[in-house]
Amino acid sequence: MEDNKIIVQVDKTVIKITGLNIKGLNLQEVEKVIFNKLKSVVRIIGVTGNSIEMDVYGIEEKDILKDQRGIIKAISLADGITLSDLAQISSVKKIKGFDIQHIPEYNGGCRGERWM
Amino acid sequence: MLNNVVIIPTGDELHEGIVLDTDSPMIMQEIIKLNGRSNILRSQPVYDKEDKIIECIKNHADGKADLIIIIGGSGGGHRYSKTLGKDYTHSSLDLILEEKHSSEVYGKNGHMWSKLICGKINETLVINVPGPYDEARATIKAFCSAYKIHSDNLKEINCSMMEALMEQYGSRETDNIF
Repeated sequence: MEDNKIIVQVDKTVIKITGLNIKGLNLQEVEKVIFNKLKSVVRIIGVTGNSIEMDVYGIEEKDILKDQRGIIKAISLADGITLSDLAQISSVKKIKGFDIQHIPEYNGGCRGERWM
Repeated sequence: MLNNVVIIPTGDELHEGIVLDTDSPMIMQEIIKLNGRSNILRSQPVYDKEDKIIECIKNHADGKADLIIIIGGSGGGHRYSKTLGKDYTHSSLDLILEEKHSSEVYGKNGHMWSKLICGKINETLVINVPGPYDEARATIKAFCSAYKIHSDNLKEINCSMMEALMEQYGSRETDNIF
């Protein structure tokens, strides 16, 4: 078996919104709604029945926190999402970089595990 | 020729109807463009569990599918963050594919964004595509283009798919480090 490995250098912030009721969600629609709000590329990376987690590229944590209510209101426009009284941005975390020259050898799985 | 094609979406959120599967119809369309005479079966979504994914692939490979396309579960997922979905597609494929070629892409925090594998189980060609719609569309289009030229070259097909995936990340700097 052959295997190529590639590292992508990109700044992103991971946002988690909880307190939602989600059923029959079209992820493209949500990404479009949030893109229109933040003017930045968004990728939904995790959805449960009551939360949504996404990567937002090129936006700082403080800018997200400044407009929490606006972001939550925007997301509620997507079909398949209704807000509960507890709807909130429960976490905003900018990813940390690492030195690619010092990656311990590891076979399989995700290299991020070693930074947990 | 790819006369019998099976599309297998994966993910608990798809199985439970929390998220709509918009990838499968798009992939079906691309396969029809490649071969208008294909029989295409879209399997019900499979839970993100290695044994379930493996069982589903084996069943369809035994049923003489020419191509099996697995959607989603290609990233590091739960291995990176406990709150993320469980991503078991690539580890399932690693376990069962006999002949294979793979490519991995990592973010700068060390998180594996995606692992694409192209391989064979018996005579069935098996590939995976990422779950996000744009990435799934780019990689399946790349597969179709590469398959027309290199139908038996797993490495060429896999590398074409990974190049198309990388283009989704624009001109951001990449390092081929290994």
